[in-house]
Amino acid sequence: MSIAVLLKQVPDTTAKIAVSGGRVDQGSVSKWSTSPYDEYALEYALQLKESGAGDLVAITCGPARSSKMLTDAAAVGVDSMLHVEVDTSEMDSKQIQSILAAAVKHCDADVILCGKQAADTNSGSTGPGVASLIDAACVGMVSEVSVDGDGFSALRGTPTGNERVVVSRPCLFAFDKAATELRRPNVKGIMMAKKKVIETVSPGDLGVDIGESGIKINAHDSPPEKPPGQKFEGAESVSTVVTKLREEANVI
Amino acid sequence: MPFEALDFYDVDSLLTDEERMVRDMVRDFVDNEVLPKIEHACRDGVFPDEWRVTLGEMGVLGAPLKGYGCPGLSYTAYGVICRELERGDSGLRSFASVQGSLAMYPIWDFGSEEQKNYYLPKMASGEWIGCFGLTEPDYGSNPGDMITRAEDMGDYYLLNGAKMWITNGSIAKVAVVWAKLDGVIRGFIVEDGDEGFYAPEMKGKHSLKASVTSELVFQDCKIPKDRILPGVKGLRGPFSCLNNARYGISWGAIGAAQACFDSAKEYSLSRIQFDHPIASYQLVQNKLSWMLREITKAQLLAYHLSQKKDAGNWIPEHISLAKMNNVDIALEIARVARDIHGANGVLDEYPVMRHMANLESVKTYEGTHDIHNLILGRHITGIQSFTRDLS
Ligand SMILES: Cc1cc2nc3c(=O)[nH]c(=O)nc-3n(C[C@H](O)[C@H](O)[C@H](O)COP(=O)(O)OP(=O)(O)OC[C@H]3O[C@@H](n4cnc5c(N)ncnc54)[C@H](O)[C@@H]3O)c2cc1C
Repeated sequence: MSIAVLLKQVPDTTAKIAVSGGRVDQGSVSKWSTSPYDEYALEYALQLKESGAGDLVAITCGPARSSKMLTDAAAVGVDSMLHVEVDTSEMDSKQIQSILAAAVKHCDADVILCGKQAADTNSGSTGPGVASLIDAACVGMVSEVSVDGDGFSALRGTPTGNERVVVSRPCLFAFDKAATELRRPNVKGIMMAKKKVIETVSPGDLGVDIGESGIKINAHDSPPEKPPGQKFEGAESVSTVVTKLREEANVI
Repeated sequence: MPFEALDFYDVDSLLTDEERMVRDMVRDFVDNEVLPKIEHACRDGVFPDEWRVTLGEMGVLGAPLKGYGCPGLSYTAYGVICRELERGDSGLRSFASVQGSLAMYPIWDFGSEEQKNYYLPKMASGEWIGCFGLTEPDYGSNPGDMITRAEDMGDYYLLNGAKMWITNGSIAKVAVVWAKLDGVIRGFIVEDGDEGFYAPEMKGKHSLKASVTSELVFQDCKIPKDRILPGVKGLRGPFSCLNNARYGISWGAIGAAQACFDSAKEYSLSRIQFDHPIASYQLVQNKLSWMLREITKAQLLAYHLSQKKDAGNWIPEHISLAKMNNVDIALEIARVARDIHGANGVLDEYPVMRHMANLESVKTYEGTHDIHNLILGRHITGIQSFTRDLS
């Protein structure tokens, strides 16, 4: 059995997002990157692979451009890559989860790592959704995972402290930001990545019928423009500033 | 935030996926490990050893060399690496140029099989630092008249003389030294610790402060017989190394220029004088658009040269033109960027004055600007004008 890491390509945090016709204009996004939480999932997936938990496959579900992300993952040591090539822009979470669950099964993976939420949609449902479809234990908000006997030990942050959870296969870990350093590829890895072939399939190839979406997105909007900053000078303005911080900014 | 380099004509879209991945890797290293430390390194006048380690781990040293543990990348990728490193600092790029093109390359091209197997893997991994000793106190642009001499003593060679301005000299384990044996220039591998070999550091540079520069002194220095480079005689040896390093510099200078442009653009947009951002004034816009123009031309020049280099249909004069032009415009861009920053431009809070001072060295080393003019002049006219002897 192998390990799978689920990766999503999202607009880079530095990219400007434009909305046109009630939809985010994907064509105007200048740079796409791996969703940041997924990068932590990838790092820990590599660590699990290195401690002998199994071969590692990177899976993505998305349009053709997403394959770059899989090549990048190969450069840091992923063994194989599966790309379910499909336009996901009008799909709902459930449809995507059914594709990913089928992809995980296709790869014979029983340990799955992913980000706790994607940086674009922020829905946070992929991990739990996939886990329930494949009947796997689901641990969310994970900041660390390691092999523990036959199972795995995960650390999750809670508002009052950390919790350590031990689970056995099949299991899924949805990653929060972790304290670990993300690894950089090296030239050897990049050369190897060139040789690894991405398996590209359609949802139909995996035997998934995603059906009709049960959700309709009415419109995307840009966030309202931030009001301009306010400036106060001199000791006499302290009480006004305190009131504003308490009542308008809600920070004290 | 990752650096977004000025690339007006999208020249990087011509790179292969592999070359782009190498670019992103090095760019990430520069953003996260070089820029936060560079000003300190310059103030202290040191080359941070952890950069050596990471360059080795990334596997970029000796980039275009194949086999013997070397990366085996394209010359284009090597150019991209130089550009990204020099966006950080010319001293960092100098380290990589010297290691790859000036120390590893001659061993790779002119060394014996034993020498290649012994030195190259450890130099590619960064474990051993190399340096290149050609320039002497009295012979810079004119290395052919060098004084350093080797004498065949039967069981060994005896080296006497001195080299100056040697990048990485004091931190190197391996020095490739050019010296005359029976009047013919030959390459010798000198190792740190060899009897009669000293490499005192030259202090007080106002330029390339994060790069180590040294003298190499040989006083009856005994070199084992198997440390001569068997494959080359004459100036062709050092010059073929210089061709590769100069090629890398033609890319590297673009990185320094991009950093200066970026800083000048940001600064001019945020600096308010006479009620408006200085970027809104035509004189400043003229400076910025001139930078854009020159950087774009330099990028096209470097890219086209890289294609010739990878295809093998280049002549040294092609490289002279690119080294000369791209360093020249980078230095001028750094000066104009410094001007746009006003007084802030002289502070180490901004990278511009550092790049400017660095590029003064880059203009001089690897063939001064005017020596490249003379190389091109000879190419055009068929008449060499290096000396008065016109025979
Ligand atoms: C920071 C730094 C690092 C260096 N690293 C190395 C290294 O690792 N290894 C190494 O071997 N060397 C190294 N050098 C030396 C460098 O290659 C020489 O400085 C360079 O070749 C110029 O030689 P020079 O300084 O003696 O100047 P000179 O040759 O004395 O030139 C002085 C001026 O005269 C001009 N000039 C010279 N000859 C002519 C002519 N015939 N016609 C018209 N003008 C002429 C030059 O263009 C220049 O403007 C380094 C230099 C610096 C500054």
